[in-house]
Amino acid sequence: MNNPNIKSNDYSQTLYKKISYFLTIIVTEVIIFYMFINFLSSEGIDYRLFLLILPIIAFFILRGNQKITNLVKESYSQCNSFSTIFMILLIVSIPFLFKDNTYLLHICIMSGLYLIMALGLNIQLGSTGMVNFAFAAFFGVGAYTSALLTVNFHFSFWLGILAAIIISALFGLLIGSLTLKSTGFYYALITMAFQIIFHLLVNNLKFTGGSGGISNIPFPIIGKYSFSSSLNIFGINLPFQANFYYLVLIIVLFSLYLVKRLYNSRTGLVWNAIREDEIAAKCQGINIAQGKLEASAIGAIFGGMAGSIYAHYISFISPESFSFDLSVVLICIVILGGLDNILGVILGAILLTIIPEKIRFFAEARMLFYGIIIIAVLIFKPQGLIPEKIRKYNFLNFKKDNI
Amino acid sequence: MLKINGITTRYGTVEILRDVSLKINEGEIVALLGANGAGKTTILNTIIGLIRPIHGNIYLENKRIDKMKTSEIIKAGISMVMENRGIFPDLNILENLRIGSLYEKDEKSINKTLKEVYDLFPILKERENQLAGTLSGGEQGMLAIGRGMMGKPKIMLLDEPSLGLAPMLVDEVFEAIKRINNEGTTILLVEQNAVKALKIASRGYVLQKGQIVIEGSIKELKENEVIKKAYLTI
Repeated sequence: MNNPNIKSNDYSQTLYKKISYFLTIIVTEVIIFYMFINFLSSEGIDYRLFLLILPIIAFFILRGNQKITNLVKESYSQCNSFSTIFMILLIVSIPFLFKDNTYLLHICIMSGLYLIMALGLNIQLGSTGMVNFAFAAFFGVGAYTSALLTVNFHFSFWLGILAAIIISALFGLLIGSLTLKSTGFYYALITMAFQIIFHLLVNNLKFTGGSGGISNIPFPIIGKYSFSSSLNIFGINLPFQANFYYLVLIIVLFSLYLVKRLYNSRTGLVWNAIREDEIAAKCQGINIAQGKLEASAIGAIFGGMAGSIYAHYISFISPESFSFDLSVVLICIVILGGLDNILGVILGAILLTIIPEKIRFFAEARMLFYGIIIIAVLIFKPQGLIPEKIRKYNFLNFKKDNI
Repeated sequence: MLKINGITTRYGTVEILRDVSLKINEGEIVALLGANGAGKTTILNTIIGLIRPIHGNIYLENKRIDKMKTSEIIKAGISMVMENRGIFPDLNILENLRIGSLYEKDEKSINKTLKEVYDLFPILKERENQLAGTLSGGEQGMLAIGRGMMGKPKIMLLDEPSLGLAPMLVDEVFEAIKRINNEGTTILLVEQNAVKALKIASRGYVLQKGQIVIEGSIKELKENEVIKKAYLTI
């Protein structure tokens, strides 16, 4: 046992293994990233779309190969943090790749905002089973709060977003407490009504600017640096959208961390129990009202946060941006990706914001496209694109040695 | 331990329970027998506060619980295994069990209870990561009982645990109930399977049309002509 040769041999073997894991992660992630970039920058029917098809074919061929699939699975489970950090590095590089094409950067920012909202909706729709059709109203409350405060009272963006978070959480609590006793279809109908009421209100009230909306919403400012100026990193000039891109990226990462923590926490489990069977959950000592209100308020916070950033990025908001359509799109994202699955929601948000941009000749029939997606998913893959869920408990650490 | 004094319950204007009194001492298994619609499940639902009594009161260890919220009653040390089992079908076994001990902070004690559950029902450990909805009826019953144990209750209310089980499994489940009782949990067992229930219980009550008609020790119950006629003959 004490033979040093064996030890060093062991060491070199683990080193070899580690390197192979790292390489697998780098190769797979670069391929996925490359596909994504090509998909994003393709125009119409393009040779780049064929580049997209190749890795998909390769995926289906290699899926049968046990050795490769095992290697990929193992490397992602063993080097979890490395794969996350590497992916983040790739995503950080996007503004450098698109520095001449602000339109693509705009799409990326929008898909980030949609992702934040979808994560919030996932808490309600996926975890707690509340089919909330009023999520665009949460988004709108955030946007209008922040816009009104900054335009009329000259608040800074940072105070505005804070106010947006608080007001949207209160709004979530209000809707939550009014719908406490209703479930299923009735809950969906009531939230639909709330959504339409919100849309009509902002369309007709004086202080929200009516159908004209609010314009000239100021850009965020840090110290003397305004988000409207172009970003300069290592001597490379990036368009002003890059500022918002990084802001959205930071908030997306923060949101992902938060929802992951929530999913693995006791609260996440309480939400799941409420979704599955309210009476059984009650019999386990769960306070149903508290759980539902928490889901309502926390979900609304994500909506409010996204709304505030949206208002300051576009610098103009009107009621049309917060209509019933947006709620449907968000529900579509969550259902497509996989209910109560964070990875699925990410995939859904990216796909459903980019694909409609790619088929612009189809723009009038956008809602038709979403309808078809929902029907197709519900018929062929009701669990969504990524059905697998993994919940980590601290108390599972004992599993190997204790039982 | 659990004392029910003269409760009356109504669904709308229909009286379900009339002046029902039960007393369960620490460490006992008490069987509650009765035909369909006699009000057995209503008694359990009243105990955990899903239904409020109009008259009467309920005490758990000298603490009045009939005015408390359901979640607080459960936390006070009662666990309920529902008639339809009430498992969460889209969560796996481990998650279901974890929900049973949601308000336990000490992880070590959760692990210990989990180990006890797995000792009692080894099949649950084998299928730990399987979705509860895909289990067989018997396994779901075991999961429901296991989840009831996870909260480390002082008293466990079991609503027809033998419902829909094969005879072999019924024996296994009753054996498990007895073991849970031996480890110090008081049990109120609602059953239609009187033969099996009277085998493990120490005392019993018979409920008929919302009223307690017979009560006594197992020996007395077994010799009672009414019970012999209604429940013990095949």
